[in-house]
Amino acid sequence: MGGRPHNQKFKEFWQFIFPLIVAGMIWQLAVSFSFIDVALLPTPSMIAQEFYRLIWVKQTLLHHLGGSLYRLALGYIFAIAVGIFAGALLGLNRTVREMFSPALSLLIAVPTIAWVPVLLVTMGLGDKTVITAVFLGGVFEMTYSTMAGIRAVNRQQINAARIMGVSGPKLFFKVLVPASLAMVMPGLRLSNGYCWRALIGAEMLSAMILWGVGKMIYEARFWNDVKIMFVGLLLIGVCAVILDRILLKPLERGTVEKWGMLSGS
Amino acid sequence: MGDAIRELKMNSINDAKLSIRGVDKIYGNGSKRVIALEGVNLDIPDQKFTTIVGPSGCGKSTLLNLLAGFEKPTRGEILLDNIGIEKPGPDRGFVFQEYALFPWKTVLGNVMFGLVNNGYSRKEAKQRALDYINLVNLNGFVNAYPHTLSGGMKQRVSIARALAYDPKVLLMDEPFGALDAQTRKYMQEELIKIWEKCQKTVVFVTHSVIEASYLSDIVVVMTARPGKVKGIFKAAHPRSRDYTGDHFLALRKEVLDCLEEEVRKEIEMDRP
Amino acid sequence: MSVRKFLLPIIPIAGFLALWQILAATGVLQPGIFSSPSAILKEMLAIWSEQVDGRSVLLAHLLVTLKRLFLASMLGILAGIAVGFCMGLSQSFYRFLDPLITIIMPIPGIAMAPLFIIWMGFGDATIITVCAVATFFPVAYNTCTGVRSMDHRLVQAAYIMGANRGTVMTQVYGPWSAVYVFTGIKLGLARCWRTVIAVEFIVAADRGLGYMIWDAASYLRASIVFGGIILTALIFASIEKGMIRPLERVTIEKWGMVRN
Repeated sequence: MGGRPHNQKFKEFWQFIFPLIVAGMIWQLAVSFSFIDVALLPTPSMIAQEFYRLIWVKQTLLHHLGGSLYRLALGYIFAIAVGIFAGALLGLNRTVREMFSPALSLLIAVPTIAWVPVLLVTMGLGDKTVITAVFLGGVFEMTYSTMAGIRAVNRQQINAARIMGVSGPKLFFKVLVPASLAMVMPGLRLSNGYCWRALIGAEMLSAMILWGVGKMIYEARFWNDVKIMFVGLLLIGVCAVILDRILLKPLERGTVEKWGMLSGS
Repeated sequence: MGDAIRELKMNSINDAKLSIRGVDKIYGNGSKRVIALEGVNLDIPDQKFTTIVGPSGCGKSTLLNLLAGFEKPTRGEILLDNIGIEKPGPDRGFVFQEYALFPWKTVLGNVMFGLVNNGYSRKEAKQRALDYINLVNLNGFVNAYPHTLSGGMKQRVSIARALAYDPKVLLMDEPFGALDAQTRKYMQEELIKIWEKCQKTVVFVTHSVIEASYLSDIVVVMTARPGKVKGIFKAAHPRSRDYTGDHFLALRKEVLDCLEEEVRKEIEMDRP
Repeated sequence: MSVRKFLLPIIPIAGFLALWQILAATGVLQPGIFSSPSAILKEMLAIWSEQVDGRSVLLAHLLVTLKRLFLASMLGILAGIAVGFCMGLSQSFYRFLDPLITIIMPIPGIAMAPLFIIWMGFGDATIITVCAVATFFPVAYNTCTGVRSMDHRLVQAAYIMGANRGTVMTQVYGPWSAVYVFTGIKLGLARCWRTVIAVEFIVAADRGLGYMIWDAASYLRASIVFGGIILTALIFASIEKGMIRPLERVTIEKWGMVRN
């Protein structure tokens, strides 16, 4: 997304990467020159080797990653679709809101992982369970953000449109929707985070799925393979950052940040 | 200083652009009842600049909201060109104290909004919008987003946006209230220049007597709550651009005297 | 007016429960899998009153989980505030740690559990450590944000009035960042709770609310699974209402510094 000069983007990237490289080197040296058992705490070079092995030799890593991302995408997209729809209903109608928003608060309070045993019992141990868990992870948050976003719309902006003759669905799409983005956009990012965490947790608990980063980490325990765990953990962290910073944040930047609509800007 | 004519009588002019007849506005019920307006009768003349002043809480903004159609009177009726006002519509324009610009649209986008939504093609809308942006002297900011503009500039966009679709009446709710003193003065001058070019029927609400006396043809003074019309004053030399001129000072004095009693009443009302 | 506010929310919840009850009772929903609300209540009361070693089974599980929650969150919060402050005050410290935190924070505690199991075995210590780590990150992040947002004019004002560094830390930075620290604590505590339940699923100790739910799931005792879930939500809601809100009221709300 445009707007920032290339040298600034490069600077930000470098400021992000450099400390990681330094930390990696410290880690490498600390483990190599101490009594730490590498079976418990491998060095970055060993992790990198394992990474290589899993991609090229055993060729499993990309399958795991693909499986995870597939489930994430499905669950997330459903979550935001339903969340935005439900949130709009709650945001627009006072009676509906007074009826359902306490229930919503209760649902948000349930730790997402807690849904998994329920799903395991009712839906079995496979893919569907994980995707549903991802969905549940994000949908309540998205509903809440959308509801809050619509409620936060400045009454005067709505009146300004009304006096220019705009009403009904036109008013909703041309004014309410863009104005509510101030909270819907951050909601998209938040939900993504929750969905991702729900994904990993559900994968670790679902015995019958074959692929998945969470599954990969969980299984590694049975072979006492710490290296695979580290690969998996780093993959989780890096993917989450990529999804958030490279996919979603630019979207936020190109809309509500550009329009000066984020609180605190 | 008799050039400022004091007129208490209602003028039932048939060329009144806006007629407010027997309007009450009541909020809430039972013990929490608030009578904002009671028995308001007022005619707003065509193509004149009319200002409404009054102590805070007198209902002048409420009256403006009724004229806009944002709310409906509890009793009575409001007519524009002898047709009752039912809801907000593009025959009126509104300028808000806090600008109410759409932050996701540029200046051009904002000014075009009323046009695009009322039958103008994008091309025509763009051309008209540019004309009005030019009218308010914001040519260099056509593609800027509102959050990058100063208060005065935002208000000018607001005025351009309200005028662009050529409403019959322009309603302004304390438009300069959020601005600092210098900008305010500048905006008053700008508004006069704009008004001289388009000569709309304007209903302007303010609590500044100076502003009212400076800008208007007619100044309407409202009573403290429940609001009704207390006095109507006509300027002999409206917009004479002279803060020291006799006419200006005379009008100002008359309005102040009329208003002072109401302000005192309003303060008394708030005393426990 | 407030009667309406009280009644309206009950309608969908009551309606939902009633519908569920009917569907389960008539067999539309398989009773073994979708136990009815009445069955849930019955079974939960049963393990509440079931006694082992003179104590209610349910209560025993609860207390164990709460103990873990308490210890883990204390550790995580204290460490988080300490590190967060350091990051907030030192630009180089911040520059160094921020990318690390950015990458590690999104990793759910449950994912780290297998690693800690290999390192530390299957006990309470493992659970508490993993949860403390999970709690640490939001607390550190928010505290750091708070300290970095400090309006330096206030700091200058304090120094000019003769305060020394220690006083500035405690009496200026402290209260200012309190709002952010509270946000961090709220988020951290929520995360701790989620992680405790989750890790209890995996670490398969023999006690704890999470263990109880997971164990019930493996025996397909649906009532306890549902009951357990509801309990987790209720408990957390009461912790928030009962502990955090009053604490906020006495500090940041009194100072008029709430951010909503």
